[in-house]
Amino acid sequence: MRAVRLWIKKEGRAKYISHLDMNRCFTRAVRRAGLNLWYTEGFNPHPYLNFLTPLSLGQESDGEPLDIRMEDDTSDDEIRTRLNASLPEGVSVARVQDAVRKPAEIAFASYTVRIELDDAAQAEAFCDRARALLDSGELTAEKPGKQGHRKVMKQVRLCEKIRDIQVAADGACVVLQAVLHAGNDMLNPALLADALQKNIGTDGLVRIRRHAFFCADMTPFE
Amino acid sequence: MPDKVMERILAAVQKPGRYTGGELNSVVKDKHAVDLRYAFCFPDTYEIGMSHLGMKILYSLVNARPDAWCERVFAPWTDMEDAMRKNGVPLYALESGDPVRDFDLIGFTLQYELSYTNMLNMLDLAGLPVRSADRTALTPIVAAGGPCVCNAEPVHAFVDLCMLGEGEEVTNEVIDLLIRHKKRGSDKQTFLREAAQIEGVYVPSLYDVSYNADGTVQAVTPKDGAPATVRKRIVSDLDTMFCPDETVVPSVEVVHDRTTTEIFRGCIRGCRFCQAGFIYRPIREKSPDVIDAQCRAICDATGYDEISLCSLSSSDYTQMETLIRKLISWTDDQKINVALPSLRADNFPKDLMEKLAGVRRSSLTFAPEAGTQRLRDAINKNVTEDEVLHTAKQAFAGGWTAVKLYFMLGLPTETDTDVRGIADLAQKVVDAYYANPDKPKGKGVTVSISASTFVPKPFTPFQWEAQDDLDTVLRKQTLLRESIHTRKVSLSCHHAQTSRLEAVFARGDRKLADVLESAWRMGCRFDGWDDQFRFDLWEQAFAQAGMSMSFYANRRRSFDEVLPWDHLDYGVSKAYLRRENEKAAESRTTPHCRERCGGCGADKMNGGKCDARCKALD
Repeated sequence: MRAVRLWIKKEGRAKYISHLDMNRCFTRAVRRAGLNLWYTEGFNPHPYLNFLTPLSLGQESDGEPLDIRMEDDTSDDEIRTRLNASLPEGVSVARVQDAVRKPAEIAFASYTVRIELDDAAQAEAFCDRARALLDSGELTAEKPGKQGHRKVMKQVRLCEKIRDIQVAADGACVVLQAVLHAGNDMLNPALLADALQKNIGTDGLVRIRRHAFFCADMTPFE
Repeated sequence: MPDKVMERILAAVQKPGRYTGGELNSVVKDKHAVDLRYAFCFPDTYEIGMSHLGMKILYSLVNARPDAWCERVFAPWTDMEDAMRKNGVPLYALESGDPVRDFDLIGFTLQYELSYTNMLNMLDLAGLPVRSADRTALTPIVAAGGPCVCNAEPVHAFVDLCMLGEGEEVTNEVIDLLIRHKKRGSDKQTFLREAAQIEGVYVPSLYDVSYNADGTVQAVTPKDGAPATVRKRIVSDLDTMFCPDETVVPSVEVVHDRTTTEIFRGCIRGCRFCQAGFIYRPIREKSPDVIDAQCRAICDATGYDEISLCSLSSSDYTQMETLIRKLISWTDDQKINVALPSLRADNFPKDLMEKLAGVRRSSLTFAPEAGTQRLRDAINKNVTEDEVLHTAKQAFAGGWTAVKLYFMLGLPTETDTDVRGIADLAQKVVDAYYANPDKPKGKGVTVSISASTFVPKPFTPFQWEAQDDLDTVLRKQTLLRESIHTRKVSLSCHHAQTSRLEAVFARGDRKLADVLESAWRMGCRFDGWDDQFRFDLWEQAFAQAGMSMSFYANRRRSFDEVLPWDHLDYGVSKAYLRRENEKAAESRTTPHCRERCGGCGADKMNGGKCDARCKALD
């Protein structure tokens, strides 16, 4: 048995496939591809597939880590080719490698967030306000959470979960290049974009793409 | 589709994956390279429509033609509809994203009377006039199929033509004809007149209906050479019939997320309330080798790990044991689960049963339909109380602790004794559990009764019967609830109003078209969904039109009344249905078709062949 880590690209229409549906989608894809996966040995055996980092509905990614276990020594190239012939439009295997780091080592993820506004002037103004808000360290957002069994809205201090962020205008677009907390203490970039828009008073279309994952020391997660 | 607008819409609606297309095995063609574009519309949500076998078959069948391209369209849920209307996005097909109004043929499958408003809504969302008479160009032609077109009169004003019976052959014939007329530049009337000559095609506008003073149908008169009776189509041989070897695999979870393969068509049982049991006759079986090969192909193409064998009554397939042995010879290794819906557990080899059940043990379901033997005889549901209890005992011995029982309230000849009989039968099942010495310790039993309301349907022996009025149904529901004396038995009753509306439209006539349209304009849609159903609006629509639901739902028809669907021929003869009706009144049963042929007449559809009778003669 070999622990293999696949990096799954998700873009275009496929960004509307939810995390749970991605799991189902891959269960079928590995069957179609005829890959000899290790099956769980429980009451209801199914191929072991573990997406390490759920991606929010509507976001794209250059590579989501997916751990599988191979029962035979099918080559990495072969796994990639066979799976890519069995996946729906917009989902593909970018890379295949041996799993090196443990899933718990994921600490940060990098994103591009594009907020589409009406015109260049509005975008410039947005950037100024956004930088000021981020510099103040006071930016907060509300997020549904739990207090015991009760469902409550929780205040999230966003700046504490931002490791690095650059704000720039690109025509009528505001582009945020951000490295945010990932793993257990993750910050969803959609929450950040919404908080900025709410504070600044815009309602632009937000597009988000996840690029890469890093460990605590900012070395790439592999 | 304007991308930015769609992105904004999709970001805001529930389950956006239903509206994007791009699924595995979906068929994309060059629209300039085909002669005809077909929008196959399912008037309900994506999750329901994508579970429907007929759509999968016809989608692949049309796309197997190089000259046509079939795409899928579903009813957008209300949040999506609101967003589409607000942003001026017309109804589009999933494969190309092109507006449905630009298609040549728009086909609706009508599975359920309460999806009629969705059909109107989809036509309207497409930017098309809902009425056939207001769509004057040759294309798009709006067609309808599915079980409900066995009485298409309530929707006659909206559809241009109906395809009766099985669609595998008639769909292609209609497409051929439409392509010819498109190339010739014909007008719509010329096309429809010629289409009416195809067997199985019913063009409502080519028939005049006159009424008696009491509102019943006086006569249906064909014109422009249309046939006096339209006979449904069937496929003669299931082994050589078209069967898709790959189907679209939805990326979003759907209701039946598995492959489905048919094993036979028709039903030998003849339960008198069941429309499917009559309109899909005659019996035709597919051979085990063909089914086995089809299952392998479809599993390879989709990656599904569950095969559902589909028929109206699995245990009546004559070669079930052979088939299951063939299937498990490879499904076991590939960890594929074989599901057999509606199987009788009593006469099935135990080792196979265990293999089938596998490890996924859902609860056990029986459908005795009626609470007493007298009423079960009247509806010809030939299940005895002993059989139910025997199977329940076996199941309890095997570790099951939950049983579901399906019943109908308001069946013809039903009395309060029959209603109380439902509670008694449930109690006996509970007692059977506690009589089992090996019952799991510390675990109770759950018996869930589900009680629906009887809806009389065309082409059944009960097509002349009255449905109980609302008060009676509600009284019987209360009586049943009060007859249950244990908390081990739970009861859920189907909405009486929903069944009432279903009864109105199932046996409705052309006068209902106006009511249907006005109810839809008032905002009725997704009527089959409890959270969307607006019976108050429906009552208002009937009141405004000066029409009565009772005329359709609660009136017993006499045998000599002209029924709105009398000019359609579904194989079973009216004389046979009447004999069955008269036997029901005397609580007399009819043996199933293999025991003795009842002479329903459906064999004439297949050159005198019927697999039930051949097997009976062996």
